Amino acid sequence: MQTTTSRRRDFKQDRRGLSNIIVVVLSLVILAIIVVNVILWNYQMSQSDWERNQETFTVSNVSRLTRSPWFTTQTEYQLNRGDRVSGSYSNTQFVDGNYERFRESTPTRELDINGTFSIDISTYPLAHIQSVELQLIYSVGDTSEQWYMKAYNWTSGTFSNVGFNSTNGDSPIAGWNSYAVNLTDQWRSYVGNGGRIIVKVHDQGPDAPPTNIDIDYLAIRPVIDGAVFTFQNTGPRTAHLVSIWICDLVAHRRYETDIFVSSGETMSYTRVDITLPEQYTTKVITERGNTSVYVGN
Amino acid sequence: MLKLWRSKKAITPVLSNVLLLVIAVAGMSISITATYVITGNLRETMGERFIVEDVWFRQGVISVYLRNTGKTRINAAGIYVDYMTQPFTELQLEPLEHGWTNITFAWTPNTVYYLKVITSRGTQVADYYKSPP
Repeated sequence: MQTTTSRRRDFKQDRRGLSNIIVVVLSLVILAIIVVNVILWNYQMSQSDWERNQETFTVSNVSRLTRSPWFTTQTEYQLNRGDRVSGSYSNTQFVDGNYERFRESTPTRELDINGTFSIDISTYPLAHIQSVELQLIYSVGDTSEQWYMKAYNWTSGTFSNVGFNSTNGDSPIAGWNSYAVNLTDQWRSYVGNGGRIIVKVHDQGPDAPPTNIDIDYLAIRPVIDGAVFTFQNTGPRTAHLVSIWICDLVAHRRYETDIFVSSGETMSYTRVDITLPEQYTTKVITERGNTSVYVGN
Repeated sequence: MLKLWRSKKAITPVLSNVLLLVIAVAGMSISITATYVITGNLRETMGERFIVEDVWFRQGVISVYLRNTGKTRINAAGIYVDYMTQPFTELQLEPLEHGWTNITFAWTPNTVYYLKVITSRGTQVADYYKSPP
């Protein structure tokens, strides 16, 4: 007891000992800060390296896309001449034998209807459209007269078929007829800024017998020169794709992208601004730094 | 109080204590700054990651497209073609940034080259690339 009391007194009096302890403790604190920082940062970077190694992502297919899907009308047809007999515009959205029936007007025996269509310009911007196609699948009771398709010309303010690849109309036969026209390089006059096209279907003119026309399908689609990519993520983590490269002997073109492919997901990705050359190599880069290559021709 | 003013002996210990305090604070400040600098440098070195997205052999030039996938800014400090340093355009990339750097090099067709890109902190990415026919 006496010895302990004496040692405590000695320690209190020995200032050098106390300062030594303070210095050692402070040094240890600084060392601990350095070590903890390094360990934490190393852990973070190891985790990101590990995530990168776990990413298993492939480009399973790349193909050229020359046509968009068809766009059908989402509203009822406007009757300028003639009457609606049965069905509705929804019957003209699929090629399935279900139709909307119209009849020529009684005194003049004429039919004239307008349908409004919209191109999805968020997916198919006007800047990348090369032309537009119209398709009509129809059946008529009287096969003796011609049927025509025109579109509203937003420049002249009239319905016209000037610049279409065919302006002669279609001569139907008994049963279902398929009539398609291409708006060639004149398409821009017929497409409004929002991607709207108003298509007119009309007959040859006044004739004797009253004719029914059954429309099974009426649709439009833009002609494009794009690419469809099929991505497959077989890894356990979501892949964030940040760039697509299309390389050939002439040029190496890089396209920014920002899409996420979930774990186990296979997805198709359409780009209308990417034109594929004859022979090319596609490289897709992920945010974590992995690259997947597809060789196409 | 008056007694304290008159006592000249008391000033010396006060001064020495204040002086010691100033030295201790300065010492600690230096230590903390050094710690910050050391850990900062270590973190930056450890956080450096980048990839070569593309290598394009053009007339008299090899263009290399780099992407910074790390957590700190990178600075391309040297590019070697077959272990020989070559002149190239400067490139500095923030995290997630990407861009071209052009190496002036008279390459020959159908030849395999060993390209190595080194950053100012010493991180390197190297691979073999074959020139087109």
